[in-house]
Amino acid sequence: MDDFWFEFVEITQSIGDGFLFGSTYALIGIGFTLIFGAMGKLNIAYAATAMAGAYSSLAIFIFFDASLIIIFIVSAASAAILGYLVYLSCFRFIPVHNHLAAMMASVGGLFFIDEVIVHTTRGSPLSFPSMFAEAYFEVGPYGIRGDLLFVFVIGLISTGALLYVLFRTRLGLATRAVAQQDVAARLCGMSIHSTNSTTFAVAGLLGGIAGAMTAAAVGILSPVMMLPLTIKGLIVTVIGGLGSIPGAIIAGLFVGSFENVVMYVRGIDERDMYVVALLFVFLIFRPNGLFGKTITRD
Amino acid sequence: MDYFLNLINTIGIHTLLGLSAYVLLLTGQLSLAQAGFFAVGAYTAAILTVIFGWNILPAIGLGMLSTGSLAFLVGFPALRVRGLMLVVATLAFGEFVRMFFYNFEWRVIQEGVEVGPEGTMGFSEIRYFAEHGWTNWEVTSLIWVFVVIVMALIWWADQTRSGAVLRAVGEDELAAGTVGIDVMVTKVAAMTVGGVIAGLAGGLYAHQITMLDHHAFTVLLATFAIAYPILGGVSSVFGTLVAVIFIQGLLVEGLRFLGDWRMLLFGALIVVVMNVKPRGLFDSQMLRWIKNALRLRFSRGLS
Amino acid sequence: MKRFTRLASTVVLAVAVTMPLAASAADRSVKVLGWGAKSGPLKSFGVNSEAALRSAIAQINAAGGVKLGDGSLAPLEVVSYEDSACKKDQNIAILRKTASTTDAIVGMGATCSGSCQAMYGVLQKKIDDTSDSGVQMPILSDTCIRPGLAKISEWAFRNVPNEVDMYDKLFAWLRSENPGVKTFSGGTETDQGHSFITHTAIIVQAAVRHGFEWVGPSVPELGPKVKQGMKELQAAAKTQHWLMGDTNYSVQARKIKKQNPDMILVSSHPFSACGFLKEMQRRKVKPKLLVGLTSSASQETLNGCMSAAEGLIIPTGFAPITPEAVSANEIVSEAGGFLDLHSAAAWENAYLVKTAVEKAGISATSDTVAEDRRKFRDALASISATAGLIGPVTRDGATGEASKPYVYVQVVNGEWKVIHDPRG
Repeated sequence: MDDFWFEFVEITQSIGDGFLFGSTYALIGIGFTLIFGAMGKLNIAYAATAMAGAYSSLAIFIFFDASLIIIFIVSAASAAILGYLVYLSCFRFIPVHNHLAAMMASVGGLFFIDEVIVHTTRGSPLSFPSMFAEAYFEVGPYGIRGDLLFVFVIGLISTGALLYVLFRTRLGLATRAVAQQDVAARLCGMSIHSTNSTTFAVAGLLGGIAGAMTAAAVGILSPVMMLPLTIKGLIVTVIGGLGSIPGAIIAGLFVGSFENVVMYVRGIDERDMYVVALLFVFLIFRPNGLFGKTITRD
Repeated sequence: MDYFLNLINTIGIHTLLGLSAYVLLLTGQLSLAQAGFFAVGAYTAAILTVIFGWNILPAIGLGMLSTGSLAFLVGFPALRVRGLMLVVATLAFGEFVRMFFYNFEWRVIQEGVEVGPEGTMGFSEIRYFAEHGWTNWEVTSLIWVFVVIVMALIWWADQTRSGAVLRAVGEDELAAGTVGIDVMVTKVAAMTVGGVIAGLAGGLYAHQITMLDHHAFTVLLATFAIAYPILGGVSSVFGTLVAVIFIQGLLVEGLRFLGDWRMLLFGALIVVVMNVKPRGLFDSQMLRWIKNALRLRFSRGLS
Repeated sequence: MKRFTRLASTVVLAVAVTMPLAASAADRSVKVLGWGAKSGPLKSFGVNSEAALRSAIAQINAAGGVKLGDGSLAPLEVVSYEDSACKKDQNIAILRKTASTTDAIVGMGATCSGSCQAMYGVLQKKIDDTSDSGVQMPILSDTCIRPGLAKISEWAFRNVPNEVDMYDKLFAWLRSENPGVKTFSGGTETDQGHSFITHTAIIVQAAVRHGFEWVGPSVPELGPKVKQGMKELQAAAKTQHWLMGDTNYSVQARKIKKQNPDMILVSSHPFSACGFLKEMQRRKVKPKLLVGLTSSASQETLNGCMSAAEGLIIPTGFAPITPEAVSANEIVSEAGGFLDLHSAAAWENAYLVKTAVEKAGISATSDTVAEDRRKFRDALASISATAGLIGPVTRDGATGEASKPYVYVQVVNGEWKVIHDPRG
């Protein structure tokens, strides 16, 4: 009986830790789903812009000793600018119906951003400051990381802000209109390009926050993080349902918990295989993901 | 000469990898699974030549058979998803294969030395060519005989009804279905053929590089596999070849003299090419231009 | 007048005859070609090795160069230093390029162990084996450190530390200095071959051999006479492991905290080592001893987690503790790199090349490249001892490997400090 209780505590602790960490996956998933839902295009460079945002904020921290709030703001802002630049270079001038060329261009963008980061930092891992790094609450047999809790809260706030923008502002209305029927939107006088570029910038904002959050949660930034985050983000997007923001959130939190529990029970060698298996299960039994589509095309 | 032959070999192997994705792209399926089939073909052929002492041709042949069967099985669930979901599903499959080989161990004692794949440590000393005294020309010939045959077969298929069927499914599945094309059969067939070609490429790769480990078969390789037909364009098989020469010949090897700047230009040039030629380097415009040039040649010759 | 003319013409004749000879000796140079990872996450390794190699060769040339077979002096020349990006196919391409298009007598690379394994596989396995069509050019490596690679080919040589010996002596010393430390546990990154095999087959086993008690998940057959096998340890210790790019170390840190070991091993490269160490710092896990992987005895670890790595002990093949080491360190820093156990080997390799060239007696002309390479290889294989930066290095011609002096360093107040110097 003791053993069972002990294991129970361990497993719920793993779920809890993974859940909080999953908020970083959720934000990256939202970014992918936002762009895919609004434009039907896949921006492979997304996680790279998120991390580039985190690197820019780290640079500000190192050279100007900025406070941690500023770090998150700088990360979000620079990722938004980078998102816009990615839109300009990889999506703006390529014919709208040509999804493959745009995707391939964004792959080139990923390589480029990765190499710029490597060039400036010589590939070295860099320590990233985190808020509430010392906070660690003990609640009964459980231990909760204060900084992960903070990261989770930031994630909630960002998502809330995003949903507000999408459903309560003109910009959000324009985005959803263009996403649903771009011909009609154009007939109503909306500029597709300025709407799409704003979508990219907004997704970039989220990405910058996600990048800074992930870096703060791990405590280090390194170019080796880029590819795994991209893959996890894509998996979360698909499990959540393409174009669905609540889907991406729930999927992100779920994947975070799931992989942590598998890690505890089965170990490192099988952890990722189980995540892949989870994806396959969804694709077979629920190909549209957890939810339908909030932002779709006809 | 050795260096150039080596580069030509790499171009040949990557062309085969690109062609395996090209066949699938014709049917509208963007598959990141080709790196997974490539890995299976590589390990199978290598195990057969190193552990069982087989001759290289049957070893690669059995590799192709196994990847073809695997691709056939993958083809059915792949039918259920489309677009981005297929991309992610095939990416996940490729990762699954990579993780399999990261765990896979098969050690055998040969002449007092342990050989064979050893999980994360990899599979080294796949020295069939050197051990049997193959010269560089012989290796290049072997690889390019395969490349030429595969390219010829695909090109020929493209001139016949098969090519039209593939492209019809790629353009509009619904319309293709209404004219009596069995979409499921076409897609699964394309996946199988793609798997066979990728297995061939993998088997050749294993012996060129003499060492396999899970690092070689990442998402990066899968991305390269689809990059070639996208950059080259789906108008013609030569597009894939041109794209491989562009990436491996120009960007990777040709720009070496730029030192540090090479890898920076790598990404930047891909972005530029896609913006300038979104239908691929070797698109229908290029094809028409070549046809016109050839026609002029011949007509002048006749008169 | 006649005598003057005769004298003058003799002088002119003498000058005219010796000038071409002097000119041709000046034209000849002993060429080498280097490569390493100059792009990608391991960029600093390539940058440092290049800086070290070029600086050392500049020093050698400033002191006159190397002596050729005919007694004349010639400079060492680095044809180029290429970027192999830790990719096997690029490494092989550079190797073949060096062998077939340049006069370089030796290739000096690479960075990643997997790349070295692939490269050595392409070389001729046994010299004089005419049925083997592998490449016939010597390779002298400075960074790829996975144990037992150079024996793949008789043309392959390395100047990397012998980790089996280093860790064995380290734990012997730790045992004697720390009688209160009894139990140990630890983790590694399982997707990096070097980290994984060094952890499971070398570090853990050395600790066990010297009386430390493993308190991780119980493993059958683990004891003082344990074999160098990996599967058993791997099977049981899975949950303490991680992947090179992981961002979440909570499960691992929790498990180890529960085991409450006196000593913790972190056999990992700087990024994931720092990730794990930071997690342990958050959970206030403070073991009495912390031991790391050789490759992490570098600036990167300090960049990533200076405070979390406090107390980390690593055996390393380089520290600025001798006059040669200190001056080399300054020279390389000015050239834009820094010396650590990997790039210091590149520096030493330049001098090793000089020794081998002079022992081989080569001609350094375009017609004699194949013979020069063979003579160089034979000379290199016959060298049993050279001077390293922190002490004498012994070499084993049969395997092509080196045995290097080492010291133990520890992160103290955010800097690497030498805490024990076992050199004779």
